[in-house]
Amino acid sequence: MTQNAFFDDSWLKLQRDYWDGLAKMGSQAMGMESSPASNSAAAPWLAAMEQWRKALAPAASDPARDFMQRLMDQGQAYFGLAEQFTKGLGDAGLGQGGDTTRAWDWLNQTIEQMQKGFSGIGADQDESLRRMLGFWEMPLDNWQRMMSSLSPMMPGDMLRNMPNGMMRGPMQEGLEQMLSAPGLGYSREEQAQYQDLMRAGIDYQRAFQAYSGFFNQLGVKALHRLRDQLQQKSEAGETINSARGLYDTWVGCCEAVYADEVITPEYSRVHGQLINAQMALKQRLSIMVDESLGAMNMPTRGELRTLQDRLQETRRENKKLRQELDQIQRRLATLPAVAPADSQAKASTGGSTTSGTSTGAAKKTSARKKTAAKPSTQPDAS
Amino acid sequence: MFPIDIRPDKLGEEMLDYSRKLGQGMQNLLDAGDIDSGVSPKDAVYREDKLVLYRYQRPAEVAQQETPLLVVYALVNRPYMTDIQEDRSTIKGLLATGQDVYLIDWGYPDQADSSLTLDDYINGYIDRCVDHIRHTHGVDKVNILGICQGGSFSLMYSALHPDKVRNLVTMVTPVDFKTPDNMLSNWVQNVDVDLAVDTMGNIPGELLNWSFLSLKPFSLTGQKYVNMVDMLDKPEKAKNFLRMEQWIFDSPDQAGETFRQFIKDFYQQNAFINGTARVGERPVDLKQIRCPVLNIYALQDHLVPPDASKALNGLTGSEDYTELAFPGGHIGIYVSGKAQKEVTPAIGEWLNAR
Repeated sequence: MTQNAFFDDSWLKLQRDYWDGLAKMGSQAMGMESSPASNSAAAPWLAAMEQWRKALAPAASDPARDFMQRLMDQGQAYFGLAEQFTKGLGDAGLGQGGDTTRAWDWLNQTIEQMQKGFSGIGADQDESLRRMLGFWEMPLDNWQRMMSSLSPMMPGDMLRNMPNGMMRGPMQEGLEQMLSAPGLGYSREEQAQYQDLMRAGIDYQRAFQAYSGFFNQLGVKALHRLRDQLQQKSEAGETINSARGLYDTWVGCCEAVYADEVITPEYSRVHGQLINAQMALKQRLSIMVDESLGAMNMPTRGELRTLQDRLQETRRENKKLRQELDQIQRRLATLPAVAPADSQAKASTGGSTTSGTSTGAAKKTSARKKTAAKPSTQPDAS
Repeated sequence: MFPIDIRPDKLGEEMLDYSRKLGQGMQNLLDAGDIDSGVSPKDAVYREDKLVLYRYQRPAEVAQQETPLLVVYALVNRPYMTDIQEDRSTIKGLLATGQDVYLIDWGYPDQADSSLTLDDYINGYIDRCVDHIRHTHGVDKVNILGICQGGSFSLMYSALHPDKVRNLVTMVTPVDFKTPDNMLSNWVQNVDVDLAVDTMGNIPGELLNWSFLSLKPFSLTGQKYVNMVDMLDKPEKAKNFLRMEQWIFDSPDQAGETFRQFIKDFYQQNAFINGTARVGERPVDLKQIRCPVLNIYALQDHLVPPDASKALNGLTGSEDYTELAFPGGHIGIYVSGKAQKEVTPAIGEWLNAR
């Protein structure tokens, strides 16, 4: 057990009491029965935070609720990091004024353990370590959220939780061989479409695995960077003496490693493959949806797209003509008026339409001025 | 010496302080109510499809310049960022220098707009807005201020219609799309844009948001929120933060054909630098821009790196080319306190002198 009771008792109790108080206050404010907030002995503040969020979220506006969630998530990451380091050091009896060599050993062991976590080894990490590693899930989590918003039919994490090795080795070869078998009989085309869809799904999962694999490597590099930076601070006689300082150092390391790596051609390739695979999968789904709509004698997306293109072409032409006509009218309006007698003489010979046009243009110009004075002028109603 | 020395009593204090601010901040969030943005009074003077051209009401006490100024915003995100709150408003700053300010709001394109091309935007919408302003004011030329992608559009427009532009201001505008530090550019090099547009029609705003947040994922989706807790206990700051947060995630979809052309021609083929830019049937020759040009970039811009903007130097035919470097980021150049004091007055002064 720990040699520093503060980490086990005082600090956790302090947090638990505080968060329990907030949770109770929040629940009462919402007219709800308060429930015990700190169910988890390992991270009472985490349970309290969650309880608090649940109590307050229904009363918040959408942006505020989303924002609140982000604050909670980051609060968890922030506290989690502090917990990982301070509690770890405390447990090992290496708090303030402890044995420096042993402290470095502890740090190296912790970093090694975290590296295993990034490599998928050691599934039995403690909760605080998982939260710290979870920080590196953020870019992937952003992708999943975005993916879900684009494909309601296919939740973002649908393919994510397939076992890592599933799309490799003999199983993959067998599946791909099966999917390359030609369809037979009356439904041959339909079979081929399903095969294409499944192939696209496999390609997407492979691309996603490559993408998340890239991030796992970055996580390991960020840990190296953290160790190097702590070493540099040590040599420079600097110390981190706040949880925020530790958190900011960790974010700085992650961001610096990320910036170095995502500018590389390798990342460009992995990123491109992920987007392309996602789009190819979505395209296969769209083709099948269109097929079904067509079979029901309903307009398809493809047909609508064709109509949109044609309509836009016509509108473009109309607007251009309207603009040219406008310009001509404006120019005509600036020409000096022609004497009626002269114009009549010309009109009788059929030689010019200047007079008529000029008068017409003047009227139109006047009408245009009125129109122009009104807001909301729509030059083309098509 | 071991470099982590977090004293338990200080840690407890820090945690409690964080908790206290978070608690107060939550209350402020609940009390925040509706988030307004776009503070300066304005009138819609022209509409076409989803586009609205606004004219801002000028302050009575300021002498008005004769040549109106058209602000061309990017298709990405919403233009109210230029007028986001009372004390952080580029528009307000421009009005204060005597500019008669117009702004194009592109609206939110839907699938019916997916066939809109760069030609439709530049030779269509922008040109008709410019004509509307010219006719309203009885002037031949207007001043144009292009922002980010809107700056690229403004460059193309000014090259294709030099007779209608008196002065051109570009802000955080990408010109060289392949500078080595351009992350976005690196990321799209292997993206099959045709496949994306053919599949999606319009490119969803969520996809763009994801790309922008991915530029600094830990700071932008993590650290930012921890830092904000320090400010959330002040109601006005909480509201301001929510306002900015709303703007960040308010991303219109991109009209498919325009996106296709912009990414392929510019991000993948670097059309300004290689001289291959075309809009509709016409090639874009930046040397046709002979009016005075003010090119403003942000030194800490992670979206459009400074070198991407500075590449404009020497590409136009202007003999009056000025650069202004701002010590801030892509958004800070509009919303920071420093920008209100330095950037907008400089633009006004530059325009008024020409």
